Amino acid sequence: MAAGDAILGHVVTFGRVLHEAGLEIGPGRVADALRALDAVDLERQEDVYFSLRQTLVSRHDELDLFDRAFSAWFLRAPVLPPARTRSAATTETRVGAQSDRLRAREAEEDGEQSDPLELGASGQELLRDKDFAELTGDELRRLRELIRRIARTRPERHSRRRTPDSRGDRLDVRRMIRRSLRAGGDPLDRPLRARKNVPRKLVVLCDVSGSMDSYARALLLFLHAVVGTGRGVEAFAFGTRLSRLTPDLATRDPDAALARCTEAVVDWGSGTRIGASLREFNEVYGRRALSRGAIVLIVSDGWEREDPELVGREMAKLARAAYAIVWVNPLKGNPQYQPLAGGMRAALPYVDRFLPGHNLRSLEELAAVLAGIERRHAA
Amino acid sequence: MGFQSIDELEDALRAADYLPDRGLSTALYLALALSKPVLLEGEAGVGKTEAAKALASVLDARLIRLQCYEGLDVAHAVYEWNYPRQLLHIRAAQEGTLREEDLFGPEYLIRRPLLEAIDSDEPVVLLIDEIDRADEEFEAFLLEVLSDFQITIPELGTIAARRRPAVILTSNRTRELHDALKRRALFHWIGHPSIDREIAIVRLRVPGVPERLAAEAAAFVRELRGLDLAKPPGVAETIDWAMALNALGRKEIDAEVVQQTLGSVLKYREDVDAVQDETLSRLVEAARAAAATG
Repeated sequence: MAAGDAILGHVVTFGRVLHEAGLEIGPGRVADALRALDAVDLERQEDVYFSLRQTLVSRHDELDLFDRAFSAWFLRAPVLPPARTRSAATTETRVGAQSDRLRAREAEEDGEQSDPLELGASGQELLRDKDFAELTGDELRRLRELIRRIARTRPERHSRRRTPDSRGDRLDVRRMIRRSLRAGGDPLDRPLRARKNVPRKLVVLCDVSGSMDSYARALLLFLHAVVGTGRGVEAFAFGTRLSRLTPDLATRDPDAALARCTEAVVDWGSGTRIGASLREFNEVYGRRALSRGAIVLIVSDGWEREDPELVGREMAKLARAAYAIVWVNPLKGNPQYQPLAGGMRAALPYVDRFLPGHNLRSLEELAAVLAGIERRHAA
Repeated sequence: MGFQSIDELEDALRAADYLPDRGLSTALYLALALSKPVLLEGEAGVGKTEAAKALASVLDARLIRLQCYEGLDVAHAVYEWNYPRQLLHIRAAQEGTLREEDLFGPEYLIRRPLLEAIDSDEPVVLLIDEIDRADEEFEAFLLEVLSDFQITIPELGTIAARRRPAVILTSNRTRELHDALKRRALFHWIGHPSIDREIAIVRLRVPGVPERLAAEAAAFVRELRGLDLAKPPGVAETIDWAMALNALGRKEIDAEVVQQTLGSVLKYREDVDAVQDETLSRLVEAARAAAATG
């Protein structure tokens, strides 16, 4: 069984390579892969490839990574390193933002975990109105719990599913029959079922380009807490490109998630491409009906580098699918602000609610709007 | 399980008028060999549902389909009691004494797809279609069924599968499925077919279609997929369209006939609007050129 052992070794190591590249590979998967290889003809490379892919990968967006690893490992072809390994080198250039974040994290580690709500009423009030751009790392940390509380309110919609409910509107026939047996067949008791409310889908698109840097941090805390409220929340970050953020927010700490996605979507020195990012969203995710019936929350200052008209066109598409669109623009916190930026002007006709979101108080307002929002734009 | 190799299964599928690519054949073969469910994902119209039908046909198995939708619950997926019948029985037995067992026996049970598939003596291919449309509670329930292949009905006890059905799940990815469910299944992503395979599929599914017409139709649809459309056409649309063109007696395509029949390829008005005039003529020319050289 020397050949068998060799395969076992190969697959186990390959599993480890994939795991390190960020794929979730448990022992169960590796066992499946071995069973699959046992069932196919190992002479044919294509069959080996599909057997491994179908047992080790379970998401479409992992296919690229798998292909690279496969050609590196089994075909010994020279490959480009996967994107995420580059981060160590390039993040060094962003010393300012990065060291700030480090400091915040260190403070968190050695500072005793005092309840941020014990700030004292006046301190809290001050923080509440302070512009996010002016917060220190420590202040931001103290806001974390408050932000989490705000994020907990989720807008709801009626589910099609019914559950037992004494104030329901439909007869629960199964229970009625069962209970009627006790009364010799007479339906004395009439149990009811009602539709319950479930959280409405929420899609968040957050601009993390340079001009938004100071706000993105606080808003990301907010997003992190919103994703933590359960399923049905999808978060994306965009700059010059779009990147799905949900898995990172669900598992990592928000600072690390922000650093990683900023890396992925922002080209330094080139501005924001809101229109192109929206188009990417509509094409890849909108087509999969991710935005259908959802509340779409866009966080951006509306500075479009390239083509404001594209912003308008893609906003129109988005508005057709979405239940409502909320645009949060931190610049709106300034009383003098007027939406003159071309991208912002093009987007506004499709926006149901336009809010500031530059400090804690405005996040509270945002949460209240999200909780009570009604569809206003025409479908 | 009947098939000794991927090639053998592939030949059988071809004989059943389904042209799988190697990846899909491997997925279906492994599903049988490892007796694991297989999850097929891909854009609409790439032939996910057709794959299940073809598999059922080559296995000589009964295809049981559960179409998922939001709000799908146990009463519609697994079983339900036949209430009118129970009520009638209660009425009829009014004089005598009535035992609960009399009312909740197999004869009062309405069997839905999942129960049918588990409690079957003949071979079954269970197609759980568009699982991404069902809500998460149902997904969790389904996970249980797919781990144990048994269903518990409180009044009757547990019914275990005597032979495991082959299970195919499909998803259009309107949302991500639960990891636990994905871990349970093999995963195969179906992309749009290569141009040669698409031509072969059209010729197989549209009897009597001229070779040239099939090639031009496939090439034109391929051009369409390169545009920025709300819903790019799948293989199903290519087949429909080739059928329409063939029915019109065409031997090849031109701008005029494409214009007339575009509705069977593009299903959104904004998409049809985007493919007009110069764009349309340009694509027709490109498709004709590609078909002539290919």
